[in-house]
Amino acid sequence: MTAAVPAAVPDEGETEQLRQQLAAAVDAARDAYRDTTRLIQVLDLLGRPAGSAELIGDMLNVLSDAFFADVVCMARVAGERLVVAASCGLPEDDPAYAQGWPVGEAARRTLATTEPTARHGTMPDDDAPGSVTGLGIRSAAWIPLSTEPYADTLLILFRSLDQPFAMSDLRMLTSVAARLQMALQERERHAVIEQLAHYGHLLARHLEVDPLLDEAAELLLRLTGADRAWVVTVEGGQGRLRAHRGLPPALLAAWPVPARSLDDLPACDAGLSEVLKVAVSRENGATALLYAGRERPRPFAQGTLEIMTIFANYLGVALTNAELYLALTDRATRDPLTRLANRSALVSHLDTLLSAADPTRIGVLFCDLDGFKSVNDLFGHEAGDELLMQVADRLRSSVRPDDLLARFGGDEFVIVLDRVKQLSEVAEIGARICADLDDRLVVCGEQVHVSASIGGVLGIRGEATPSTMLRDADAAMYVAKARGSGQVEVFDEDASHRSRDRLDLRAELLLARTRGQLHLAYQPIFALDSRAVVAFEALLRWTHPHHGTVPPDVFIPLAEETGAIVEIGQWVLAQACRQLAHWHRLPEGRGLGMSVNLSPVQLHQSQAAERTLDTIRTAGLHPADIWLEITEHSYLRHEVTEYAGALGAAGVHLVLDDFGTAYSNLSYLKRLPIEILKIDKSFVSGVTGPGGGQIDLSIVRAILAIADSLGLVAIAEGIETEDQRAALRALGCRLGQGYLLSRPLPAAQAGLLLRPQPQMPARAAQRGA
Amino acid sequence: MPVEIPAPRPAAATATEPLRTGVGYSDAADAVEAGRAAAAEALAGLQGYPPELIIVYTSVSYDLIALLHAVRRATGKAPLVGATTSGQFHDGRLIDPGLGVSVLALSAGRYRFGVASVTGVTEDGDDAGQRLARAARAAAGPEPTPHAALLLLTTGLAGHQQELLNGVHRVLGAPVPVVGGSAGDDRLLIRTCVFENDNVLTDGGAAGVWIASPDPLSVVAEHGWYDVGLPLLVTKSDGLVIQEIAGRPAAEVFREHFHDDVDFERPGLIKPAPGYLSAYAFGLIQPDGSKLVRGAYIDEDGQLKTFSPLPLYAPVQIVSCRAEDLLRVTGDVVRRSLAGRDASVLLAFSCVARLDVLAEQGAREAALIQDAAGEVTTFGFYTYGEFARTTRVAGYHNATLTAIAL
Repeated sequence: MTAAVPAAVPDEGETEQLRQQLAAAVDAARDAYRDTTRLIQVLDLLGRPAGSAELIGDMLNVLSDAFFADVVCMARVAGERLVVAASCGLPEDDPAYAQGWPVGEAARRTLATTEPTARHGTMPDDDAPGSVTGLGIRSAAWIPLSTEPYADTLLILFRSLDQPFAMSDLRMLTSVAARLQMALQERERHAVIEQLAHYGHLLARHLEVDPLLDEAAELLLRLTGADRAWVVTVEGGQGRLRAHRGLPPALLAAWPVPARSLDDLPACDAGLSEVLKVAVSRENGATALLYAGRERPRPFAQGTLEIMTIFANYLGVALTNAELYLALTDRATRDPLTRLANRSALVSHLDTLLSAADPTRIGVLFCDLDGFKSVNDLFGHEAGDELLMQVADRLRSSVRPDDLLARFGGDEFVIVLDRVKQLSEVAEIGARICADLDDRLVVCGEQVHVSASIGGVLGIRGEATPSTMLRDADAAMYVAKARGSGQVEVFDEDASHRSRDRLDLRAELLLARTRGQLHLAYQPIFALDSRAVVAFEALLRWTHPHHGTVPPDVFIPLAEETGAIVEIGQWVLAQACRQLAHWHRLPEGRGLGMSVNLSPVQLHQSQAAERTLDTIRTAGLHPADIWLEITEHSYLRHEVTEYAGALGAAGVHLVLDDFGTAYSNLSYLKRLPIEILKIDKSFVSGVTGPGGGQIDLSIVRAILAIADSLGLVAIAEGIETEDQRAALRALGCRLGQGYLLSRPLPAAQAGLLLRPQPQMPARAAQRGA
Repeated sequence: MPVEIPAPRPAAATATEPLRTGVGYSDAADAVEAGRAAAAEALAGLQGYPPELIIVYTSVSYDLIALLHAVRRATGKAPLVGATTSGQFHDGRLIDPGLGVSVLALSAGRYRFGVASVTGVTEDGDDAGQRLARAARAAAGPEPTPHAALLLLTTGLAGHQQELLNGVHRVLGAPVPVVGGSAGDDRLLIRTCVFENDNVLTDGGAAGVWIASPDPLSVVAEHGWYDVGLPLLVTKSDGLVIQEIAGRPAAEVFREHFHDDVDFERPGLIKPAPGYLSAYAFGLIQPDGSKLVRGAYIDEDGQLKTFSPLPLYAPVQIVSCRAEDLLRVTGDVVRRSLAGRDASVLLAFSCVARLDVLAEQGAREAALIQDAAGEVTTFGFYTYGEFARTTRVAGYHNATLTAIAL
């Protein structure tokens, strides 16, 4: 009995009638309120800001409650089976989630007609998941989630209540299902848009292709809810598996596969119930393919393919960016000719290695080709480039896989050796590379012999820097080169220090002249019989603020290496000329000569002869007042001959220094306008010495004989004793210099030595000619 | 005192062995003494069979930790669950709120038991329910059984009972019925507790027993309340406060249904909210026409309140009852539970609101339960809300008697 409203009418029959009417009205009101409440609950739920999974869960709970259903589930067709996506009432481990159950008659009808289906009474077992059949189900309803054709998702309610689903129930459920579908689509669209935007951002941050594709595989898996996802690129007719998630190791061995067989679903698809594939469309560049697969018979959500397509577009953009970046990076870090790392990449790599925490050390080999310039000169720059490429190939095959090979510049290559324990390893590798390189190569059809000078150093991580290591290796290479071609030199700590000092000196030398640290000393050249000064030899001196006097045999080679010798030499000549001009203005200085040393480097300068003569004339001198001293090595080149010829023709006296110590090729004496020979100190000191003196004496005698026969004047250098002077005089040597006679002196003191006019050697030479 | 346990016999192999039961009770003032005595008496009832499940119902007035340890010392490692109550009943006796501890010991019989507990019901009842269901099921061992039920005990003041049930249902689904109740605290409404093995969990905790069974298990629930008005819609509410019914002030509508016969000053209410009327409540209309009872009262500010929130636009009818209405369903619930089963024990859960309505007739429900059960052991407590999830996900009741027979 449901109502307890007191009846006012005493009539029994009437009361009963009223009671029945009231009961019916109450039932009707109850049903109306129940339906209203159902709708309100559903609408309230649809309006709540919840994610898809939460919405579905809550909705199925409400439907279970509102329609008295033991089980409510959302199931989707996968092949010939219905697979549960969500439910209220199925245990979480129910096989209906993973395997599903065969599509039964009612489900098939509902899908075909897109109309709801209701059943009441005994349920056929094949139209429900196994666990439902034990619940004593008496009524069930199948509701299409969408009325669109090809809809594949159903809302299914099973209840043990022995009461059929009424037509009004079905109408309401259909309406709810449609709204749920719309709400889900809306939420999924939002979620996917958010996800895609986020994933696009995640892709864009990758500037290298491999991490990009790896991230793409991960995101693809998440985006599609797949069990496996993989990314394939197609290059040169080969499909390569570039990144994957969830692929069993056994399937990886099949890659790469021929591109044409990619459509035949290669190994990765084994055991998958559904596979989606989209191509990453690009204007150019390698094509990529994205795959997503599901192992379980659980279909992909609708629109997954479209989502993958958008994702593929993002990936395409990211790939293009990555390739552009790669090209830019490549340009910034690679030498365009040899494709080796360039100097900046080398320094950066070395810096990285030196910063790593590792007990091993780093080796650096600095290779400089021997004779590269002559290849360039003989066969042209194209040949030079070809040679460099061939050498780069040789070096590539010589270095270990983890070593970095870089082109440092010109014909210089650097090899960075990671994880080296001691210097001997560096030396061994250097020697091996040297041996590998020492060969004949065919360049532009010509056979060219190649070798390299290699310097090596060992650096301690955390202490050494790329610049110190490269500087020391470079210095070691110079030492190697100085020993001849195809040599290896490694510097230990001490050697590096010395080289560093030398390099420091080299740098300071460039500034020495402007800082006023250079000056000239003058050593007189005497007539040995009269002891009259016939000329001075101008000698360059460098007084370093810390090191004091730096010996010329130390700093002159430095000046030659850096090319500073050109400017310095010019300065020396100008100074010496000015000083001589000054002395010429003194009565006792008239006719005095000035001997100035020339570096071979100076002779290589264009218009060297003109500039030399300009300097002499600017000082107000005659070219014949100047003696220019050159060494034997200077002759080798054609331009030297030209230079000497031009100066000789102008009247400058050419002095061959250190005669007898090098080749002493007499043909040079014939070819060049040499007028004076300087007999090296080593022979001079021997002319009176015990033992061996006889040999030196013979040499000096021979030199004097040669000079005499060619009409040249000889000057003995380094006379230190009276005996030597006497012996030289006895041999007929008329001029000499040395500590016995005078040390090199400052200009003022040197001026005091001037005596009444001695006989000019040049005049003597002219007379003798 | 530890029990002498006979040589172990695998539970699964004793499928034909009847379930042995033992009930113990003590009202000793000292927690340790009460626990020891009740446990010893319960174990004695097993006649030497090892206990496989211990259920403890107690007044919240004890030192609960000391009490539980005393019980555990006696029952050893046997899985244990329990709750504080607002009164217990067994052997046809009512244990009034505030008195004593009752212990039930069960041998395995054809069943396998697994117990578990969780916290966090208040924060996320659904999640707690899922965790509890999985843990209890796992505790019963990996061997599958064709049927099962979950005995669910939650703390009565934590709320979120239906969410807890939603979580349980999400994991176990429709095939597993759920029975149980919310712990009480002698009507003090201060603190309720549940027990799991050595753990005492206060509000926000829940405990469960997975009952694996070779036969289907069923849960029965009835309340006996009747309508006193027409269907109505709750049109405005805020949490537990019902503001409008059918567009009118809710308290006013509620009062209109009061009958002159209803005694406003019922005895037995230790701490009733002012205006609390156990005799009137909301009947939440269900799709099949039945009603879930939801207790309601008018507080000192004149607001109409419920003990658990009503859904938005809930269709309700004001319901009422007299003692005889409630007692009329008692035997029915017991008989339906036992029908067709060769049961040894009836686990029942009755609402403290029923006890309030029964007032001086309170002990009659316990007696009727035992009468209807005959030789079957009966064991239950007065709750702050009952669980009886049978068909749908909804399964939280008020003012109802629920039971399961094992």
